[in-house]
Amino acid sequence: MAAPSAAGLARRLRAWLPRLSQVRGSRYNPSFLEPEVNKELYQKPWEELSEEEREKLELKAVQPIKAAPPTVSSSVFSDPMISKFTNMMMKDGNKVLARSLMAQTLEAIKRKQLEKYHKAPEDEKETIECNPYVIFHQALKNCQPIIGLSSITKGGKTYQVPVPLKDNRKRFLAMKWLITECRENKNRRMLMPEKLSQELLQAFNNEGPIIKKKHVLHKMAEANRAYAHFRWW
Amino acid sequence: MAAPVYPAWVTRWISGQWRQKKRPPVLRPTRPLVLANKVANRREQAGEAMCITEMSVMMACWKQNNFNDTACAEEIRMFYDCVAKAEKERKNQNEEDALSPRGNLTSSKVNKLLRRFPQITRYV
Repeated sequence: MAAPSAAGLARRLRAWLPRLSQVRGSRYNPSFLEPEVNKELYQKPWEELSEEEREKLELKAVQPIKAAPPTVSSSVFSDPMISKFTNMMMKDGNKVLARSLMAQTLEAIKRKQLEKYHKAPEDEKETIECNPYVIFHQALKNCQPIIGLSSITKGGKTYQVPVPLKDNRKRFLAMKWLITECRENKNRRMLMPEKLSQELLQAFNNEGPIIKKKHVLHKMAEANRAYAHFRWW
Repeated sequence: MAAPVYPAWVTRWISGQWRQKKRPPVLRPTRPLVLANKVANRREQAGEAMCITEMSVMMACWKQNNFNDTACAEEIRMFYDCVAKAEKERKNQNEEDALSPRGNLTSSKVNKLLRRFPQITRYV
């Protein structure tokens, strides 16, 4: 029996090895539905549901449903914004460290606010917000820019044109600014939760370096408002 | 009457073959004359920027109140509403399969259609 040719072997080996370029996307059939994690929706009795909710529930009984990702949970303590922020803080896939830092941050916020609460006189006690989640959400909302700049090339020159931003982009920018600020402008000995709690409390009161950055962006957009007509969308 | 059949010299005279001195064909296609399954990308008409008045009103309010967001909450809300409306309109415009005012489709839509109904190249 003659030995198999080298070219044929190489061809067969190449066909067996998987291609290097993997398609990044969902392998689910389009008929699969997203999982509903909110427990309260399922605890409602049938009569209280509206028409479209009833239709959706009936559809779910028939259609297949995708597996829930591990980041989504139905517990009362899980918050999608906090999860997103933790993921952005994570380095090299160390989710354990990022989650512990986030927990320590929220604890630090709570401690600071409680200290302020107990030191304040009676009439001011109601104004002090002690819930760290509320503080986190409000601080992020205060940090979100309202209008952004986009580079548009026209006639050979690039202009910075003020353009409205999408919600996701606003949230991303707020979180990114917060994290970069805490990573770069801190004392070498100061830990991340300490600095983050400081920045979050400052942003909650509409002061601090991140709010300043947002104002700088707004000022630049205001200065370039003449170029707003260069936009085509 | 059925299509009249003329003698061969009549058809040859009418076709002008004698005048053309039986030149070789003008077209010499290198590839088979088959329609492609896509059209070239055509530069669409650029749209206009939306919500500029709301943006300028908001910026004037900012200038007055030293870029304080709580003082300009109303203008900011109006700006957001305008942006949401413009976004929805743009999405509706893109979704519908209507002809443009000139009477032709965009090249992307034509390509999508052609991909659904491609040219048949072989019969099995």
